[in-house]
Amino acid sequence: MTRKQITIGCGAIILILLPPAALLSGNPYLISLTSRIIIYALAAASLDLLLGYGAMISLGHAAFVGVGAYTIAILHFHSAGAEPLFSWPFLFAGSNNALLTLPLATLSASFAALIIGGLSLRTTGMHFIMITLAFAQMLYYFFISLEKYGGDDGLSLATRNSLVGLNLGNSSHFYYLCLAALFVFLILAHRLVNSRFGLVVRGAGNNDRRIKGLGIHSYRYKLVTFVIAGGSAGLAGALLANQTEFVSPGLMHWTLSGELMVMVLLGGLGTLFGPVLGATVFLALETTLAMYTEHWMIYMGPFLVLTVIFAKRGLFGFLAGDKGKNG
Amino acid sequence: MADILLKVSGLHKSFGALLATNNFSLTLTRGHIHALIGPNGAGKTTVVNQLSGDMPVDSGTIQFHGRDITRLKSYQRARLGIARSFQITHIFENLTVAENMGLAICTGLGHNFRFWRNWQNAAAIKNELPLALERVDLLHRAELSARHLSHGEKRQLEVGMALIGKPELLILDEPMAGLGPGGTVELAKLIKKQKGQVTILLVEHDMDVVFSLADRVTVLVYGENVATGTPDEIRHNSVVRKAYLGEGE
Repeated sequence: MTRKQITIGCGAIILILLPPAALLSGNPYLISLTSRIIIYALAAASLDLLLGYGAMISLGHAAFVGVGAYTIAILHFHSAGAEPLFSWPFLFAGSNNALLTLPLATLSASFAALIIGGLSLRTTGMHFIMITLAFAQMLYYFFISLEKYGGDDGLSLATRNSLVGLNLGNSSHFYYLCLAALFVFLILAHRLVNSRFGLVVRGAGNNDRRIKGLGIHSYRYKLVTFVIAGGSAGLAGALLANQTEFVSPGLMHWTLSGELMVMVLLGGLGTLFGPVLGATVFLALETTLAMYTEHWMIYMGPFLVLTVIFAKRGLFGFLAGDKGKNG
Repeated sequence: MADILLKVSGLHKSFGALLATNNFSLTLTRGHIHALIGPNGAGKTTVVNQLSGDMPVDSGTIQFHGRDITRLKSYQRARLGIARSFQITHIFENLTVAENMGLAICTGLGHNFRFWRNWQNAAAIKNELPLALERVDLLHRAELSARHLSHGEKRQLEVGMALIGKPELLILDEPMAGLGPGGTVELAKLIKKQKGQVTILLVEHDMDVVFSLADRVTVLVYGENVATGTPDEIRHNSVVRKAYLGEGE
């Protein structure tokens, strides 16, 4: 076994055993904290597909988290209220069934990614960063303007979604749903980056002119990656809405995009598993430091700078060695 | 002659008042290594760019296999079997050597929307990759990140990638530029190994390399073909000696 496999294996075992351990040791709050970490890890790992593999520096990833979260909230809003979501071509009263809402949230975020990516990917470099940021801010202000769905104040959910066989109100059950989503994503993404498709995307990320010189139309490959990453971020948003039972436009704010980016850099760019570690360290530090000071970013900042300077492939590279890359 | 692969006649190209290519003609015989030499600024790269389709010609014709390709775009010429390397190394620095070569192979496979199977397990890759790496002596470097290769090895990789897809004509634009003596010898050996399998147009500065590798040599001065012949003929050609090899009067 390589160092990398041991690192990943240990991480998986810790995550799987955490809920019973937390309950036995009398720290049940750890379960909801770790659920949050897992959800952010999913969003950060999906961003890593863009940053670390396709070299698409998107500063608007939170937009897809927000779209996913709002899909859950709006479906819930209509299922709870009297008014149906739409009545044509068929009557749809909204839904609270996770089997329907989670895929719908993923789909709507993918669709948003298709539109935003389709336009943004015509640019590169600084322009791409700015245009993704601009789109995310547009969505942010759009949802602020939606008075019906709470506008600036956001929207509360009365309950979490329901899922056959599980009680998502139970923190352990919900935890395992999140963990399953993360595992499935990591497995699929790992296959993806090592496939022929992934090879083309990595090539385009490394030297886009050269890939075009080889006769490959890289735009389509990058767009598909963008859609996959956006959809996965939407799933993370859907889980987040369920966890907090509350959504607000703040989910789409660029500061969340920035935080996701910090998690990716902290954990290790282009490592897939690194962002999971990055999200863990980021949120754990935030939670602990925030107990002592409101200005916890003062300590987080230098930590990030030191990590980026000294750990070549982030914290994951530090643990897993040089072979850390490519999932 | 049936064995003529490329026939260029009366090529002209000017940039404003500067006549970069002046009534340039050239005939490449299949299987030969044909060198194109000339002093700095003679317009060697301009000629190459016109042959590969990266630059439009002002007048003149280029025939490949007897077919007029003067107006074809570079990717169309690439499909017909004309591959080129560039003066500046052009590889994927962050990918491994195998991945670089793999990408070149993937190019020929149509679309690459294959999401699940590891790229190394694709049938075409399995068949071609080891051979392709072997051909340019990089098999032992396969798992190394391309940026860690020596400058010479990067060139080898680039030539290897150009050879994927079995081009009939390979245009090498100053492959030895910037290489140390060791690298030059290695690359020259490698080019020699391809002899007979692919026709090569070699644009080169290094005279020793040219005279040891080439079957035919064309000397370009001010965009004009001043002499074409075997290395021996060129070495003893008085016009060439005066214009290029710097023989004093």
